[in-house]
Amino acid sequence: MKYYLKLGFVLLIITIIASGVLAYINSITKPIIEKNQRKTKEEARLEVLPSAVTFDSISYFNDEVVYTGKNEKGEIVGYTFVASLYGYSGDVKSMIGVTPELAVNKIKIIEQKETPGLGANCQKQEFQKQFENKIKSSMMVDKDGGEIISITGATITTRTIANSIKTGLAMLEEITSELEELTSDKEEKVK
Amino acid sequence: MEFVAKIFSMAIAAIFVQNFVLARFLGLCPYIGVSKKLDSALGMGMAVIFVMTMASTFTWLIQTYLLVPFKIEFLQTIAFILTIASLVQLVEMVIQKTAPALYKALGVFLPLITTNCAVLGVAILNINEKFSFIEAILNGFFAGLGFTLVLLLMAGIREKLDKAELPKSMKGMPIAMIVAGCMALAFFGFAGLKI
Amino acid sequence: MTIFKEFTKGFVKENPVFVMALGLCPVLAVSSSVENAIGMGAAATFVLVFSNIFISLIKNFIPNKIRIPSYIVVIASFVTIVDMVMEAYVPALHKNLGLFIPLIVVNCIILGRAEAFAGKNNVIRSIVDGLGMGIGFTLALIVIAIIREILGAGQLLGFDVLPETYKPMLIAILAPGAFIVMGLLMGLMNMKKK
Repeated sequence: MKYYLKLGFVLLIITIIASGVLAYINSITKPIIEKNQRKTKEEARLEVLPSAVTFDSISYFNDEVVYTGKNEKGEIVGYTFVASLYGYSGDVKSMIGVTPELAVNKIKIIEQKETPGLGANCQKQEFQKQFENKIKSSMMVDKDGGEIISITGATITTRTIANSIKTGLAMLEEITSELEELTSDKEEKVK
Repeated sequence: MEFVAKIFSMAIAAIFVQNFVLARFLGLCPYIGVSKKLDSALGMGMAVIFVMTMASTFTWLIQTYLLVPFKIEFLQTIAFILTIASLVQLVEMVIQKTAPALYKALGVFLPLITTNCAVLGVAILNINEKFSFIEAILNGFFAGLGFTLVLLLMAGIREKLDKAELPKSMKGMPIAMIVAGCMALAFFGFAGLKI
Repeated sequence: MTIFKEFTKGFVKENPVFVMALGLCPVLAVSSSVENAIGMGAAATFVLVFSNIFISLIKNFIPNKIRIPSYIVVIASFVTIVDMVMEAYVPALHKNLGLFIPLIVVNCIILGRAEAFAGKNNVIRSIVDGLGMGIGFTLALIVIAIIREILGAGQLLGFDVLPETYKPMLIAILAPGAFIVMGLLMGLMNMKKK
């Protein structure tokens, strides 16, 4: 019995030392990891909406914050949101910058697990560029009679991205019309 | 009804679309090592299904009721591997006492399972995918089933391969790898399948 | 065996991947690009060297009965350290390797070296052994990754190396290609041995 207690004791000591060391390293790396995650999202926002200086959160979509981008004068220069839908083998997430007129300003794929060499080509600049200046009604793949040229061998991925942006734009339409109502109500009250 | 449909789609995903061996590259050592004979492959497969289901259950509980509340998620790897190792030991002891016949069939494979990365893999995946308790258990079970399926297929092929005339240097492991490649190619057809 | 031989045995003669067929899962899973291969190799080598050092240091204090669990705790701690440090300083690589970083714990090479070598030898020899085996593992990963990346993407470390007229053989960077390239390389090693 005593022997087994000793065994347990030795193992316990090893585990305690290990946990202590790990806790210390965790306390150093955790803030850096969190900062990195924030930074990559901030950078993606700025990339898809470069004219904005400050970002204010207005709503949630796909568990991510929807922002309005404003310039130095406080005028709204656009919106950003994260579009996400299940593609061929996983969720395809992209950061979308939208102009105040609700046309796409720029998109950036931030997460995807599509087939390398086929669907994964959605990360290419040429592909992402064709979404620029498109509005909700033209978010359709060429196979379905739209204008978005699909990636060779990866129509599903292309369709997924187009649809995810489409639902995002519909969501923005709702939010902005609500916001407009609110502001016009306020203006009426002031009068 | 919706629940049944969800379970069905989970099963298809874990067994075929995201097969642990052929699509995720987990559990390759036993896949190549224990696939020479059909009956030992069956024993190994059963043992893996059992341990993976148990491991999914316990690691999920540990993560949810121990690691998360105390904010010690960074101990996940240590906690999970120790859980799996002691679980395997415990299962071995219990089976030995209660079901000697079963122990005779599975006993040799149980110690090997601790270092089978498919078991730790499924435990971590359950957490990463944010599965609920029931989903985690089912995922562990189905993933084990997928593993057993390809292990049995492979053993069947390799029993035939033994009689084939092969270049000397390709015998054994190399040809098993190439056969696995062909199987992965076949399983690739399941990719993108959604129900 | 001289120290130098101890160091180089893992490169070819006792190569953990091609000859002993250990640790196949990460080899096949992350060898679709040379960059990932180097990252994975470095992470595994770090764990291998440091767990070897610690295990050879504490081997005399550990009762034989709890040898394996103690080794596992030591290895798992170093794996967790690698995991956290990589997530903090090389997040892109960490994301690419994903699940396979925590899975270094169950990599048979590491527990195998702890049990077969570090638990019986002194610190210096254990470091040399860990480093040699780690480099052998990394070399194997890089060889497979070079073949797969050139054939499957026409690239090397992300740069185009083949003329534009080359149509990438996609299968090489997909799952089936990993198995087939590995099988052919193992066959080649067998042929050379005879």
